[in-house]
Amino acid sequence: MAGMSSEQLAAFVRQIFPRLDQLSYYDLLGVPSGSDQAVVRTAFYRLAADLHPDRHHTLADRELKEQLEMIYARVCEGYQVLTKPDKRAAYERALNQGKKRLTTTDRDSRGLQNPEDSIKHPEAKKFFRLGMISLGRKDWKGAVMSFSFARTYEPSSALVAQKLSEAQAALGKPGGAGGAPPKTP
Amino acid sequence: MAVVGIDLGTTNSVVATVRDGQVVVVPNSQEGYLHPSVVSFSPDGLKYFSVDAVARRILDPKNTVYSAKRLIGLPFRSDEVQKALVRLPYELREGNNEQAVFIGPDRTYTIPEISGLLLGYLRQCAEMFLSDSVNAAVITVPANFNDSQRRATVDAGRIAGLDVLRVLNEPTAAALAYGLGQNMSQRIAVYDFGGGTFDVTILQVENDVFEVLATGGDTFLGGDDLDSALLSILADLFNAEHGIDPRNDQAARSRLLIAAEQVKRHLSDFPEARGDLKNIAVGSSGEPLALRFHIARTVFETAIRGLVGRTIQACQDVLASAQLAASQIDEVIMVGGTTRVPMVRAEVEKYFGRPPRTDLNPDEVVAWGAAIQAENLANAGESLPSRAVLLDVTPRALGIAVTGGFAERIIDRNVPVPVEQTRIFSTSADNQTSVRIQVCQGESRRFEENVPLGELELADLQAARRGAVSIEVTFKVDTNGILRVRARDGATGAVREAAVNVRGAMSDSEVEEAAERQKYREASNLPEVPQE
Repeated sequence: MAGMSSEQLAAFVRQIFPRLDQLSYYDLLGVPSGSDQAVVRTAFYRLAADLHPDRHHTLADRELKEQLEMIYARVCEGYQVLTKPDKRAAYERALNQGKKRLTTTDRDSRGLQNPEDSIKHPEAKKFFRLGMISLGRKDWKGAVMSFSFARTYEPSSALVAQKLSEAQAALGKPGGAGGAPPKTP
Repeated sequence: MAVVGIDLGTTNSVVATVRDGQVVVVPNSQEGYLHPSVVSFSPDGLKYFSVDAVARRILDPKNTVYSAKRLIGLPFRSDEVQKALVRLPYELREGNNEQAVFIGPDRTYTIPEISGLLLGYLRQCAEMFLSDSVNAAVITVPANFNDSQRRATVDAGRIAGLDVLRVLNEPTAAALAYGLGQNMSQRIAVYDFGGGTFDVTILQVENDVFEVLATGGDTFLGGDDLDSALLSILADLFNAEHGIDPRNDQAARSRLLIAAEQVKRHLSDFPEARGDLKNIAVGSSGEPLALRFHIARTVFETAIRGLVGRTIQACQDVLASAQLAASQIDEVIMVGGTTRVPMVRAEVEKYFGRPPRTDLNPDEVVAWGAAIQAENLANAGESLPSRAVLLDVTPRALGIAVTGGFAERIIDRNVPVPVEQTRIFSTSADNQTSVRIQVCQGESRRFEENVPLGELELADLQAARRGAVSIEVTFKVDTNGILRVRARDGATGAVREAAVNVRGAMSDSEVEEAAERQKYREASNLPEVPQE
């Protein structure tokens, strides 16, 4: 393997990076679409030898380095997908729909946790919500008050304690105490 | 300016560098090459390191820290730390952000600080030996070290004033040291049985490209466990003779443990071990109690059969995840002092059907590889005959908690790094204005069965019906195996990023403070200023 000069590398990144999302894994790895695993692997190893971030550890141009890393990450992804039969089959279907990258597109039916779910007592939850609204308005004084109330209803809640100390810290900061609470609508 | 490779081990550490294209290992002050990973503290603020600290494990067990690698990057309440607590004679308690902290005679120390002190000492050893300043290093970690353990190792390096060029997986380093795969294609198993951890890694090596196909193991299985097995044998003998269980006496236990380690080494070369241990404990009338013993290798082997069996089971699991049979492995490399135990070698040979490679010193081979990689990174490997490219993989799957107690996977196990994946999630309640994103590592569908890594919160979301707000969660794992998480509010179009609060980790400012303190101590060569 010859290895790339820094000029060659910069030219390569400038050429590939802007159209990274338009390239299929086959394009990126430079292999025909019917290629078997051994061919894909050989191509990947050749690219890795040139593009791996370790090869360019001393590269001064940060932006170039970052773009190179993103290209290389996509090359790795392509290698991973094309050498795993089930993923490759899914990718072929995605390609037929015009997609160049295999991603989990269907939105997950499950939601992310609501922080307040950990609070059991309804009154504590109510004051916690008020406190969060105050926090959002940077009304630190109001937040401290609401979280303190929440704590009297559920002293064991780590979340309430954490938010209370956050609000207290913000209130204690220079300028924090002076900040007048915004007018309520 | 020199760069070094450091194998920061549970029991011993090794430092190496490349000079004129050759790997050289930095000796310790007693003409050996292993630097015991021990730091001891005296009440006046003086510290003893490594070879100078070993004897203090007996003299002052409460103030002498060893096996810090078993604790690094783990929350105080984790099973691993709680398990270690039982065996360690020094005291730990819970500090800031769930960290385990050591209670020293002058103040408390976080675990990265302890490892940082040791790394600083190793750096000084290297500087003296090389007559050159050392400011950058590659530090090795077990392949199955998780994200927080890797971060904490980087923190330790920073505290020691080192630019950590790379956190390198130990098995990959070992394969690099053996220089395998030059102009050929081979499949290699690295069987690494160290002082405190066991791991096994399958690599494909082809023309200087090293690809990790799969890795696995047990972060809590090592030579220490073999020592403990021998300690039990010795303690039972002592108890039978004197009616006192030395395991209940910290000093007696420490003495027996050191003897156990020596017996283990002896039994690697001889079929039996005899000895006469004086002053193990004190009898009821103040008389010193001794232990005369005679242990056959076969007795030791019976005691450790289960432990060795666990390593073979791990080999099976890892091969299965790489969809390979043991017979498809071309070469088996032995790493770690525990692989000197004949039964370990025999079991590995039996399982893989070929004698394992033991031609490089199993204690030094990892540091060799680290030194080569340091040279590769810092000096573009100009003095080396070949330039290896190391392709590492994620040791575990990574995901986040979703409602119902489930974990949603974002990045799979064993995928090549760097890797970046984005998944879109939603809110779970009407008018939910913030989401809690708990990050975990592991393969289980149930969140609680995985290892929690940390969490971040994305607040100020638009109030809307449940499911109407979309949140993009992006996981990025870099070549060090370190995870970065980004959460973006998709509904408002606003981009908000948040840093993960890693459980059991030092904060950035804490690390900087510790680094400053250490710099001051090294410059003045005095005990550090007592805190107000």
